Amino acid sequence: MNKMTKGAIATGVGIVLMVGGGGTLATWNQAQNGSMGKVVAGDLNLVPASAGVWTNASGAVIAIANYKVVPGDTLTYTQPLNVTLGGDLMVARLAVTGASAADGFGSNATVSATTLTKADNKVVAATTDLRPADSGIVTASTTFTFNKSTTDRNAVAASVDLSGIGYSLVQQAPVDSNNK
Amino acid sequence: MKSKHAMKAAGLVLIAVVLAMLTVQGSYALWNKAAGSNGGTVQAADFRISLTDTQAGSVTDMTLSNGTAATLALSSTGVGALLPGQSSYAGVQVNNLTDAGGDFTVRATTTAPVVANNPGSSLAQYITVKAVTAGSLAQCSQPAIYGQAAVSGTAMVDVAKYGAGVFCFQVTLSATMPASVSGQSAQIAIPVTVNQL
Repeated sequence: MNKMTKGAIATGVGIVLMVGGGGTLATWNQAQNGSMGKVVAGDLNLVPASAGVWTNASGAVIAIANYKVVPGDTLTYTQPLNVTLGGDLMVARLAVTGASAADGFGSNATVSATTLTKADNKVVAATTDLRPADSGIVTASTTFTFNKSTTDRNAVAASVDLSGIGYSLVQQAPVDSNNK
Repeated sequence: MKSKHAMKAAGLVLIAVVLAMLTVQGSYALWNKAAGSNGGTVQAADFRISLTDTQAGSVTDMTLSNGTAATLALSSTGVGALLPGQSSYAGVQVNNLTDAGGDFTVRATTTAPVVANNPGSSLAQYITVKAVTAGSLAQCSQPAIYGQAAVSGTAMVDVAKYGAGVFCFQVTLSATMPASVSGQSAQIAIPVTVNQL
């Protein structure tokens, strides 16, 4: 074995020893996890909790498609809504949209402003700030009144389409919100 | 020249911003969700009352399709010449044909009969009319039901939804009618008014 071969073998052994040492080429170092966790988004949702129901003045449930009102009748539409709010800074407002006039009934009938009421009977105004703790059922109620003061045959066979009434749940910007 | 270019550029930027805002449609909003009401359509009932003649059975709606009040010519019993002191009878059935969803009771009322002479006649003053309510049209020709009724009085009946009420009329020629008015004729009008209760 000549000198060149011996030197190559010695170098190889040395490198193998270094590999066996597991990166001991570096100086002291230490790694640590950040423990930052996950960033989780909140939630905002508004869905009908069940189908809306019409009742007449005596409290009987009616099928509005077949029911014909007469002067003196008062019908109430009740729509339970399921409000979901999540997020530490979540603030939202629930409002009624597309309120209808009495249409073909003219001044012989009135459609009340829709009221929104929480399960604890507190009224939800358009300016009421709702927070995650307010999640749950909110009941929307609209009343149609065919005035008893209707005379002659006024408003006979009249109709008013109330399907345009809707509800919107809109998040309010957190106080320290960004501009993006 | 420079300011003109600057104004043009500013205008273009403004248009671009407006277009962008219109395109994204309210993207300034935060989370929001809408739900429909499915409230449907509220429909008014029809106020439909019909009148049926006792004898002939002819029927008419009280309100005609053009909105005017209907006139129903009633036929009477004992058609022909009435002798002094005799009576003739007629009747009308009031039918509540509403399509109301809830209760819908109406009150039908006759007002005082109006007896008028035909041209050249002076018979009217010798005619008296009584109006009563009855359970059926068949009762109208029974003199006994008019016993308590006042001459030229009114009658009233309440009619529930899908129900019917009956008015009977007794027309009597006075026993003191002079022979000089024989062969003359008169018209009798009895307005009927129906109101929702």
